[in-house]
Amino acid sequence: MNPSSLQIAEIWVYLSGSPLFALILTLTAYQIGSYLYQKTDKYPLANPVAIAVIVVAVVLNLVDMPYQKYFEGAQFVHFLLGTATVSLAVPIYRGIAVLKTRLIPLMIALLCGGIVSIVSAVGVATFMGADSAIIGAFYPKSVTAPIAMGVAERLGVSPTLTAVFAVVTGILGAVLGSSILNLLGMKAWWQRGFAMGVAAHGIGTSRAFAVHPEAGTYASLAMGLHGILGALLIPLLKSYL
Amino acid sequence: MIPGLVQILLWQGVGELISHFFLPVLPGPVLGLIFLLIFLMIKGQVNQSLALVSDAFSQHLGVLFVPAAVGVILFLPQLKAHALAVISALLISVVLTIVTTALVLRFLAKKGADES
Repeated sequence: MNPSSLQIAEIWVYLSGSPLFALILTLTAYQIGSYLYQKTDKYPLANPVAIAVIVVAVVLNLVDMPYQKYFEGAQFVHFLLGTATVSLAVPIYRGIAVLKTRLIPLMIALLCGGIVSIVSAVGVATFMGADSAIIGAFYPKSVTAPIAMGVAERLGVSPTLTAVFAVVTGILGAVLGSSILNLLGMKAWWQRGFAMGVAAHGIGTSRAFAVHPEAGTYASLAMGLHGILGALLIPLLKSYL
Repeated sequence: MIPGLVQILLWQGVGELISHFFLPVLPGPVLGLIFLLIFLMIKGQVNQSLALVSDAFSQHLGVLFVPAAVGVILFLPQLKAHALAVISALLISVVLTIVTTALVLRFLAKKGADES
């Protein structure tokens, strides 16, 4: 090894040992994702989280860094998930304040949608012979990812698989949602938005906001309420199904 | 921004404590969310600092689950082996959820409109 590459190796050993590398990588990857999302006019398939995950995975593979070591550094970002979860109370509060009058039909629809999302995912996965780690992660996957991951931890299923399934669910819902709702002949924006929020949480909500502000408001409320309801009901369903 | 952050962290702390000692089935942050929501409903308003922090979090929520989601690289062989089951379950579930929620909502809204 010549002196300059030795120096680079030394710098690399120093950098990769501190959380800085993982933090820079995580945030830069997410920024690339956000940039592409904006550039494609917020096309759901160009989801910033999905892009960031791919970029980070490719870089870790290139520099030959084990995932555990990356996570040690990135756990500072990960920690904020809990704090972000608590702060979801604000949009939910705003939603409830605006939508008091329709709360009862919304709650009934949410309950039906929430149960269908769990039973159908777990049912199909079990029927098609997926293993128990994968099936376990299907219980919380329809809830917004930060809450889903907290619930997953308590259920003893993988928060990672749960987060990935939640993001894919959101993307699928955002891509397919409008066509499905058109096919059903759904006209009212509030109903369309709420259905998107129940099925596709955060990603569906940002799609709904892009289509119509009223749909977005209801989607955001659906996502928040589904988060709370999911945290309460999923442990119950998991022990009975 | 700091008072809002302090408030959120305190509710998170209360949630974690109650979760740890009394309600292990619910994650601490979810309890914190419920407490903060009840607190806001009693107070009847959101102060500016809290709104600022909350908006910042909701705008960039996605970045927070990147570290955990990257862990998917450890599950790739398992996911590949069950790829068809995983994709079918995700797809069927999301379609049925949208359809169910939308139809129930339309039915209830129509019923409500007929009665009034």
